[in-house]
Order: sequence, then structure tokens, then C-alpha cells
Amino acid sequence: MSIQQQYRSRAKELLQDGSVKMVIGYGEGTTATRRRPIFITNPDDTDRLVLDAACKTNLAGYLLREGLLADQKSVAIFLSPSGVRTINILASESQLSSAQVVVLGFQIQGDTVKALEGTKASDFSPLIAKRKEKRKAQPSHEMTRKLEQMTPAERFAFWEGEFSRCIKCYACRAACPMCWCRRCVVDNNQPQWVNTSSHTLGNLEWNLVRAFHLAGRCVECGNCSEACPVNIPLHLLNRRMTEEVLTAFDHYPGADEHQEPVLASFRKDDPETFIL
Amino acid sequence: MAKIGVFVCHCGENIAAKVDCTKLVAAMEGHPGVAIAHEYKYFCSEPGQESIKKAVTEHGLTGVIVAACSPRMHEATFRTACAEAGLNPYLCEIANIREQCSWVHNDGEQATQKAIEITRSLVEKVKRNNELQPIEVPVTKRALVIGGGIAGIQAALDIANAGGEVVLVEREASLGGHMAQLSETFPTLDCSQCIMTPRMVEAARHPKIKLLTYSEIEKVEGYIGNFNVTIRQKARYVDMNLCTGCGECILKCPAKKITGEFDCGLANRTAIYTPFAQAVPNKPVIDSDNCIYFKNGKCKACQRICPTGAINFEMEDELVELEIGAIVVATGFQVQNTALYGEYGYGRYPDVLTGLQFERLASASGPTGGKIQRPSDGKEPETVVFIQCAGSRDPSKGIAYCSKICCMYTAKHAMLYAHKNHDGNTRIFYMDIRAAGKGYDEFTRRAIEEDGAGYVRGRVSKLWEENGKLMVRGADTLLGRPVEVAADMVVLATAMVPQPDSKELGKTLGIGYDEYGFFNEAHLKLRPVETATAGIFLAGTCQSPKDIPDSVAQASACASKVLALFSREKLEREPIIATNNEATCSGCWGCVLACPYNAIEKKDLTDRAGNLIRRVASVNAGLCQGCGTCVTFCRSNSIDLAGFTEKQIFAAVMGL
Ligand SMILES: Cc1cc2nc3c(=O)[nH]c(=O)nc-3n(C[C@H](O)[C@H](O)[C@H](O)COP(=O)(O)OP(=O)(O)OC[C@H]3O[C@@H](n4cnc5c(N)ncnc54)[C@H](O)[C@@H]3O)c2cc1C
Ligand code: SF4
Ligand code: SF4
Ligand code: SF4
Ligand code: SF4
Repeated sequence: MSIQQQYRSRAKELLQDGSVKMVIGYGEGTTATRRRPIFITNPDDTDRLVLDAACKTNLAGYLLREGLLADQKSVAIFLSPSGVRTINILASESQLSSAQVVVLGFQIQGDTVKALEGTKASDFSPLIAKRKEKRKAQPSHEMTRKLEQMTPAERFAFWEGEFSRCIKCYACRAACPMCWCRRCVVDNNQPQWVNTSSHTLGNLEWNLVRAFHLAGRCVECGNCSEACPVNIPLHLLNRRMTEEVLTAFDHYPGADEHQEPVLASFRKDDPETFIL
Repeated sequence: MAKIGVFVCHCGENIAAKVDCTKLVAAMEGHPGVAIAHEYKYFCSEPGQESIKKAVTEHGLTGVIVAACSPRMHEATFRTACAEAGLNPYLCEIANIREQCSWVHNDGEQATQKAIEITRSLVEKVKRNNELQPIEVPVTKRALVIGGGIAGIQAALDIANAGGEVVLVEREASLGGHMAQLSETFPTLDCSQCIMTPRMVEAARHPKIKLLTYSEIEKVEGYIGNFNVTIRQKARYVDMNLCTGCGECILKCPAKKITGEFDCGLANRTAIYTPFAQAVPNKPVIDSDNCIYFKNGKCKACQRICPTGAINFEMEDELVELEIGAIVVATGFQVQNTALYGEYGYGRYPDVLTGLQFERLASASGPTGGKIQRPSDGKEPETVVFIQCAGSRDPSKGIAYCSKICCMYTAKHAMLYAHKNHDGNTRIFYMDIRAAGKGYDEFTRRAIEEDGAGYVRGRVSKLWEENGKLMVRGADTLLGRPVEVAADMVVLATAMVPQPDSKELGKTLGIGYDEYGFFNEAHLKLRPVETATAGIFLAGTCQSPKDIPDSVAQASACASKVLALFSREKLEREPIIATNNEATCSGCWGCVLACPYNAIEKKDLTDRAGNLIRRVASVNAGLCQGCGTCVTFCRSNSIDLAGFTEKQIFAAVMGL
């Protein structure tokens, strides 16, 4: 049985025996390389589910649709390891209860898709722990290194150029599962901290605020860059933050659902090198 | 319409020498909302304050900006003046154009421009200030004193004698600290234990003092007047209520070869022990790391012999929670006895000692009964070399400070030795003799003139053993030639260092410490006993090296601070507290976790039928200290801080 077939029947079973009220997965998209999220409640519709190497979007954010989990019923969802980490973060930030989430875990390796064992987010903790070690050992991305080597003025010019294209559509925010605020800071106009018009200052403010808000929370799923209509490499900022919290605080976002937010918690042995 | 008064202070020359105050006034006069702008030599002076008050009433000002020194200096002065003139004090703000401007810039023109911007920024802020009313909180009239050395005991007694309740926490099995270990004390040479033990007994018996020995601080929450402290009473394995202190158990204990801490390794003790003969409380404790029963499950000799059945191997640590109004930290020091100076052979040669070990040798209650003998062979030394500043005043070894007491105790040691060994020789290698203190210089002179202390100015470079002698080679810098002494004993005046865990304790208490781990006072000169955390005070050597008179003086100063606090029924707190916008809060509880005072609670939002809609954060005004941590944490800016609202800060920033 192909993995797609296998997951279709798992989804069907879950809906049939009533253990979940909905399956969130991938369906055919507009092109062969694009998949779109589908929300299935009828067991007969499960053959619309697609699982292949094009299923790259992190679907976890859909769980936060207002009222979806309010009835305490469970929902099954297709998740890659970074998706599972998202569930852990959302649970640790009290945005959902992981007990209501049935994970249909998979991993994309090149052109193929591998099934992952487990149904609860916590089942994936050993796998995530391994990925953390791998992430630590992973050399900085070429582009991150390049940025690092620039002078501050060059780096500023680079980002100014990139951000100058931003049209403030907030697609990055909508795509990011961690951007669950009831009212985003940019929508606060009393006072208007972030300029809403698309000029250099406003664009810079918005993009930096967004990046900072993801420090210690970003799982590097790539949803933001993928969503951006003008192809701003947003993930480069996030990646830098990820490396920072990993080296400074040994913090790998979403390692488990009891993890405390790195910027709000305090350990006696936290490095204090920034205090002069 | 805003009617702001701007008052530009010259601070004598402090501000006016750099900042063109007339230009600043002119710039403010034209700023929207500013009704009047004045300059004056000293606004903090009586006439200066009067002129502000007069302007408030005459012009009906709605806000006041005093462009002057740091708000830490005179914010209270000017706010009080405004209040006296009928203006809510929180409508007065200070623009700091001294510390943050005139003092730190050379170019007058640029400084003036900066002063204009700083002042304008505050004018924009004050336009958005709200009237605030102070918050009243009760005071728990119970003090916690941490550390039962002379400083802690003195503070506890002074507070208790004035009627305040005290909880005195000591982590060792007995009160006393270092003073209990000393032989005789400079500059009067009175016996340390003779003056110390009555204090220990008095503290233990005092009806207002609750003594918790063998205990440590586990957790501290809350704030001045209202701390919540959890104390861990370590398992003693001896029931204090049943034990009569007869000491039968100690005689019976077969584990006898344990290095005794009190005698600094010069004598052994048993696994069940009291630290020293005059210990308070004089009841033993079992050292479970070295007890044979705890190690291999067999023994219980002490339990069998104990006539009152006081020994209980099942005992566990107990946590005691207490409400406390003020905290005195008196956790003392340690002497450094590491191998910091490899060249001095400490730890390698048994007859190379620390000053504290020498105290034990010279003490009548010590392992030799007060005879000064070599640990290696028990012989009386004929020549003793003392090396001062062994660790102190040596930045290359990591300690730049002077330990302050070593000059004095080394002179004392030379005297004690001369009194006991009439034919003995002493050689003291020193850098300077620092003997500032009442009767101190006289004391060191006496050591030299009457007791023949042989001072050699210079440092020791090498120490080795040869034919049963300790060979000490150094330089006599006054004569400009090398010296070599064949000694029988060498005493190192090792540095006074903080307790090894002082930084941990500092973090638990939320008080600052310096690079070494000595606790930081709020102001070295003007507030030497307060910490930057209101309601927490410092006594004795935990703050910096000190002798007994200084430690005691600081302890009494702490007591007066505590009693001043306890003399009030209620404390007025600044109304600078956080509030949460329930409409935008997402209930992530980040602020709950971030708040260092546990001031944020979770609140249910329900519909009219009582059904839960969602949960949001809610700030408890009684607990909030207005630190603003939650404000910076909340991504959606759902929390605001009174007096520093988003709107005020935004206006201030945009005013720059
Ligand atoms: C060799 C030597 C000779 C000296 N001779 C003289 C002299 O002749 N004259 C003189 O004036 N001064 C002398 N001094 C200095 C004197 O010893 C000190 O000034 C004095 O002991 C300081 O008292 P203290 O209470 O600050 O500290 P300590 O005596 O160190 O007492 C601190 C107490 O706090 C306890 N404690 C520590 N941490 C904790 C914790 N976390 N929780 C609970 N309890 C804790 C400790 O166990 C200890 O009992 C001498 C010092 C030395 C080293
Ligand atoms: S950008 Fe920040 S404030 Fe806006 S939704 Fe994302 S996390 Fe919330
Ligand atoms: S998706 Fe791209 S264009 Fe849109 S707001 Fe984000 S960065 Fe700007
Ligand atoms: S941090 Fe902000 S959003 Fe989160 S609970 Fe606190 S107030 Fe609400
Ligand atoms: S300002 Fe916020 S973080 Fe600070 S004490 Fe108040 S509620 Fe806690």
C-alpha cells in the first residue's frame, strides 16, 4: 500500500469510529507542485487526501480557527516534525490542548515521503530531540554566513532592499501558526507603533517586529517565506534567531509541550553576557 | 488644553556650563502646550521650589517639567512641591539634562540641542500623564535575618529588643559564624568566645527571636513589607525537643575520622557531632554523608545509647513558609584556602597554615588547648613567618581588593605567638601595614615595639622544605636585597572571599552582587546598608570585608532601618502598576510566567449564563511592583503600565 493510501485509510478509520471530528490534510492544488489544505469531516471524502513530497505547508495554524476546538472534540492533522513542534508550542502557550490533536505524522526526504510512528505530539519527542542535536551540529546556512560577514551598513542595505518590496499584505503573519494574537501589534493604532504604510521605515518596523516575536518560537517550517508574494527571504531572519536561542539558551522551540517560552522564563545559569 | 510649565535648572554650573539654559527656555516657550518656561540657578532650593508652586497656582498648570538632574535625585522633591500646590504629583516629570546630558558631553552646542530634545520628549509625555493615587499596603512586622554570625545576631537582637519579631536563620548546626572560631580579638585582645557566646545564648533565648539553625532559604517572593519566604530546615536526625544535649551519642559514634570544619581541618570529629563545645543550640546533628548507617545501613550506635530516644534516622527536610516584612542578609564570608598561591605550598606542607587555622591553634578551645604547635610533629615553632596579602590586592590572581582585616590579625597573631613562646622569632612579609581604626595603629606599633614582631616589607617568591625547615625566600624592598628565612611554621593571611553560593542567594533574593559575589549596597556612600531591592538590607562581611566593630555597626544600622519600616502601619506604594486589556489578551500566560512578583492571575471571562468564553490575564494590583516586565513580554501589547503607558512612551519617543 502506498503511504498516501495508508494515511487515507487511517484518516477514514479515525472519522468512522468517531475518535476525531475532522481531518486536516492536504488536497490537490492549483498546480502539480502546490497542495492546498482540506478539511474533511465525512469519512467518504478521505480519498481526496494527498500525501506526497509537495505537502510542505505547516497546517498546524488551522487548529486555532476560533471555536474549532471549543467543543473539546479531537481533530486529526497531517504534520511533519516541524508541525509537531508547532503543536507543542501552541500547547505550551495555552492556545490549544494537545490532547485534542491526533497527529498523522510524516517526513519528506527528497522526493519521497516517510511515515512517522505515533499519534500524540509527545510520541515524537525522541525524534525532535534528535533533530535538535542535528540542528546544533548543522553549519550556518551559506546566506546566513554571508550576512554575518557583511558590515552593519551593508547588512542594513541588504535588508532595506529586501524589505522595500514588502506590500504589507500580512500574508506572512496569516501563514505563521505562531502569529495567533487576537490583535496583532501592527493593528494597534493607539499608539501606532508600527507604521502601516509601505515605506522603508514602516516596512522595516513590521518585518523586525515579526521576526522578534518569533524568537525562540519559530520552528523553521518556511510558511512565511512561502506565503510572501514578493519573495522576501523572511526565514533568514528567523534562522538567525533560532541559532541565537539555541546557542545562548540551549532552547529548541517546541521540544515538548512543557517547554517554557525562552524570553519569559529565567534560569539561574542563564548567560548574562549582555549585561555590561 | 494642556498648560505645561517647564523649569530649567542650572544646577549651579553643573548644567549651565554646558547647556545654554536660556536657549532651552526659548525653545520650550514656543512648544505647543507649554504655558511658561523659566530658568533658575537651583530649583531644588527653597525659593526654587516656591517659584514652581507659585507658577502652578498662578497659571493653573496641568503639568510640570523640571529639566534638571536625574529623577533619582529630586523627583520626590518636585513631585511633593507640586502636590503642595494642588497638582497631582504624577503630573510632574523630570527631564534629566545633567547625568544624561551636561555631564557626559563636551560640545556645548550639541549638549544644548540634546537638552532641548530630552525636555521636549518629556513635555510630550506629560501631556498624556494621568492623575494617579498612591496605593496603601500593610506591613508584616516580622524580620528575617539570614546568617547567625556576629552581624546576624546583632541585627536580630537589636530588632527583637525593640519589640520586633525576628526569624534568625543559620545554615550551620550552631550560631556563631567565624567569630566563634577566633582566639582573641584585636585591638583589645579580649577572648572572642567570651564576648560572643553570651550574645549567642541571648539570641537563642529571646522570646521575640525564632531561631532556625541547620536551615536555608529556599524561595523568596513578594516585596517590602510583604515577603513570602520558604525556609528549608534540613534533617538533623536528632529531635530537638527530646535531645537534652548530654553528648553520649557523640562519644559512642564509631565514625571518628571526619575532618572537623570548625577546627579548619586541624582536628577530627564524629559523624554525630556538635560543631564546638559552646554551640547554640548545644544539640548534635548527624552528618549523613559520613554516617556509617547512612552509608551502609548498619550502626545506629547513637540511637541505642541515646537515653531520650531523640535520634530518628527517618527524619526529612521540612519546608517552613513565613510572612516577612523585612530581610537582613548577614551571610558572612569565607577565607580563601585554595591552592591559589602554589608557590606558598598551602596543602602541600602541613605546617603552612591559613590565618583562621592559626586562630584555632591559639584558641584555648582549639585542638591544642591554645598551645601553638606544629600540626606535623606537635613541636613548638621557634620561627614563624607570616605572609600578608596572600591572595588579596593581586589582580593577576583575580582579587584586586584589600581584605582589610589581615594586617590587623597578623599583628595580633605575632603578638599571641610572642606571648606564648617567649623566645620565638616572627617575620612578617607585608606590602603596607593598613591599620586605620580606633586603637589600630597603636596595636600594630605595640606588636613591633613590645612584642618584637619582625616586619619585612616585600613579597615572598618561593617556599620549600629543607632539613625539616620551611625555607622562605623573599625580597626586602626597603633594604633592596633578598632575604631567606628558615621557618618552622608559615601562616598565610589568605583573602576574605564571599560565601561560595552568595550569587545563588543573591538571585533567590533578587539583590545584586559584585564581580566577586559580595552583595551590592544601594549607594556605597549614602545608602550602604540598603540593597536596591526595597526591604532587603545588608549587614557584615557579606557586603565587603570588615572587622567585628564594622560588622556590628552595620548590623545595628540594619536594625534601625527595619525598625523604621516596622514603625509604620501601612506603606504607601507608587501607583505604577500594570493593567491588562482583556479584549486583546490571548491568554498565553507569558506574562504570568515572566512576572517576577507572581502578580498576574488567570481570570475567566464568562457570558451572562456563566459559561466560560475564554481566559485572560489579570494583574493583582496589590502584588504588582510596576517593573514593566510583562509589558515588554506581551507581543500584542495588551498590558500597559500606569505612569508609563504605551501612549506616553510613544509620545515621548516621537518628541525626540
Ligand atoms: C583569621 C581571622 C581573624 C580575625 N580576627 C579578628 C579580630 O581579631 N578582630 C576583629 O574585629 N575581626 C577579626 N576578624 C574578622 C571577623 O571574623 C569578621 O569581621 C566577623 O566574623 C564577620 O561576621 P559576619 O557575621 O559578617 O560573618 P560570619 O562570621 O562569616 O557569619 C556568617 C554566618 O552566616 C551563615 N550563613 C552563610 N550563608 C548562609 C545562608 N545562605 N543561609 C543561612 N546562613 C548562612 C554562616 O554559616 C555564618 O554562621 C578575623 C577574621 C579572620 C578570618
Ligand atoms: S507579529 Fe507579533 S503581534 Fe503580530 S500576530 Fe505575530 S506574534 Fe502576534
Ligand atoms: S508576506 Fe511579504 S509582503 Fe506581505 S507583509 Fe509579509 S513580508 Fe510583507
Ligand atoms: S502576554 Fe499578553 S496575550 Fe499573553 S496572557 Fe499576557 S496579556 Fe495576554
Ligand atoms: S509590571 Fe507586570 S511583570 Fe512587573 S510586577 Fe507588575 S504585573 Fe508583574
